[in-house]
Amino acid sequence: MIEIKSLTKTFGSVEAVKNISITVPKGEIFGLLGENGAGKTTTLRMLATMLKPTSGTATLNGYDIQKEPDRVRGELGILFGGESGLYNRLTVAENISYFGELNNMDKKSIQNRIKYLAEVFEMGDYINRHAGKLSKGMRQKAAFARAIVHDPNILLLDEPSAGLDVSAMIVIQDFIKMQHQLGKTIIFSSHSMVEVDKLCNRIAVIHKGSLIDTDTVENLKTKNKSDNLEEIFIRLVGEKQ
Amino acid sequence: MRLKHTITVLKKEVLDIARDKKSLFSNILLPIIIMPVLMLLVGSGTKKFTQEMKENITVALTQESASPEAQEFLKNQIAIHDENIIIKDPVENPEEAVKTGYVKLVVVLDKDFQIKYERNEPFSIKILFDDSKSSSGGSVSVLERAIEKFNNVTTNKRLEEMGIDPEILTAVVQEKVNMTEGSPGNMILSMLLPMLIAMLVAVGGIPAATDLVAGEKERMTLEPLLTTRASRLSILLGKYFTINIFTFVSVLSTLAGFVISYIINPETITMGMGNVGGVKLQPAAVLLTLAVIVLMGMTFSGIQLAISTFARSFKEGQTYLSMLIFAVMIPSYASMMMQANDIKMYMFSVPVLNTISSLKMILGGVFDYSKLFLALGTSVLYVVLALYLSVLMFKKESVLFRS
Repeated sequence: MIEIKSLTKTFGSVEAVKNISITVPKGEIFGLLGENGAGKTTTLRMLATMLKPTSGTATLNGYDIQKEPDRVRGELGILFGGESGLYNRLTVAENISYFGELNNMDKKSIQNRIKYLAEVFEMGDYINRHAGKLSKGMRQKAAFARAIVHDPNILLLDEPSAGLDVSAMIVIQDFIKMQHQLGKTIIFSSHSMVEVDKLCNRIAVIHKGSLIDTDTVENLKTKNKSDNLEEIFIRLVGEKQ
Repeated sequence: MRLKHTITVLKKEVLDIARDKKSLFSNILLPIIIMPVLMLLVGSGTKKFTQEMKENITVALTQESASPEAQEFLKNQIAIHDENIIIKDPVENPEEAVKTGYVKLVVVLDKDFQIKYERNEPFSIKILFDDSKSSSGGSVSVLERAIEKFNNVTTNKRLEEMGIDPEILTAVVQEKVNMTEGSPGNMILSMLLPMLIAMLVAVGGIPAATDLVAGEKERMTLEPLLTTRASRLSILLGKYFTINIFTFVSVLSTLAGFVISYIINPETITMGMGNVGGVKLQPAAVLLTLAVIVLMGMTFSGIQLAISTFARSFKEGQTYLSMLIFAVMIPSYASMMMQANDIKMYMFSVPVLNTISSLKMILGGVFDYSKLFLALGTSVLYVVLALYLSVLMFKKESVLFRS
């Protein structure tokens, strides 16, 4: 379970995230919907303990991001979209193993997990190839595998399918669904309405750092009398402006 | 902080850099090859240059003063005192003759020199040389010494003819004794080696430092790393020790090149200025100096890490880090001409200068342990400060996520 309480982040005079409060129950895929620069990544970075909130806080499975950052990081796996963040001179297996070791896993568990992830993500052919020699889709799958090597209970996915081809995107989406079935709590940030519509149980619309609305996809559609999430988003954002 | 995480980061970083063929070539292989080539070229160049000033001193008279007597005088009275002096045919244009390399020096003798000489009167010899040409300017002293010898021989002969003991002209006989141990090559080595080591230690870790934080920021690999259970301090220390390793690998490979040069020709490491040796090193002093060098490397690794963390990108990191060379060049050049006994106590407490001073001291055969301990103590302090600075930078999100 994730509880975000009045979370605020300012960079100098810029308020990137303004007093956001959200609760995501265990086992839910929760979408953060917003344009580029809306504050989605900053929110995820604060949840991942990379950035310290200016005010407010959040708890992940009961661990406070400010008081127990190490415990929080043990609970979560985070994936950033766009650049995969892999080490090009290491093989896919070495990339995954490195993060396994840094997440306190023993060598045997890491090896078992690599085998499992290679199978799930269909990476068997290139698991021992250097990451720098892979296609963007392959790299993103490897990055996903690395983020969840320690089998975290919470996944923070920041535009995970950005720039991927259709087949790689489907693999990623299938894996998100699979993690959902395993009872993982997932926060999924995207500016793709179609993807959010397809995957998320509930969504929060964020605009210029502020939370505009939070509800299930169905309720948002009913409330706004539209089946088109893009139309609803434009309307909500437009009202705020 | 967990030591296990630090070791994991260290192992990964070493493996990652070791797989970078460009880094390996420029940090390890190139210094081993380039040093002997460089030393041999510079050494043989210097040797040739000094030989040029001592040997084949070609001298000619000007056409106006070139009587058969003058030619005879130059050959039998002056050149006879130095076998390197070679008399050539008279020249019409002295400037041209020196410029074209026909002769190194041109001499003008008084037309009536023979009469004056026979009357025991002084006559003049004018030496024409070109100071902008080292082979000409540097040769003057050889001819001067030969003329001085002629003067002495002539004076003694004249005094003896007058029945006076030439010793009367000598009030005191001076004798010079150099109390320093070792050969002249040691002096050159104590000028060059401390500077070379200080520069290598200061810049050896730069490629690794640039890659490890600024490079990671640019490649977006730092953010996922910060979401693991490893604390920032563990990650930072792993990177810090990696930079240290590559600093000393780079220093050792350059010194290996230095040793290869020595094996090929011992004189190359003193730039052709003679052999080294004669100094008895004290093991304790050598160990203390090595510790000071290692601590300087650790200080610079910390500074490099802090700068790399501050930089937004790889290129920005490279630009900032390349400026570190000035931090070493200034004290290196300022103290270059100083010999072991010229170094003041305070210099053993100044960063960089303390390493250079310690090295100069032991190479000069001077072993002052109070100075060496001062250098060691201050070096430890600088390591702590540099590491503190890098921790401060790495923990500051406005710096770490600067973009």
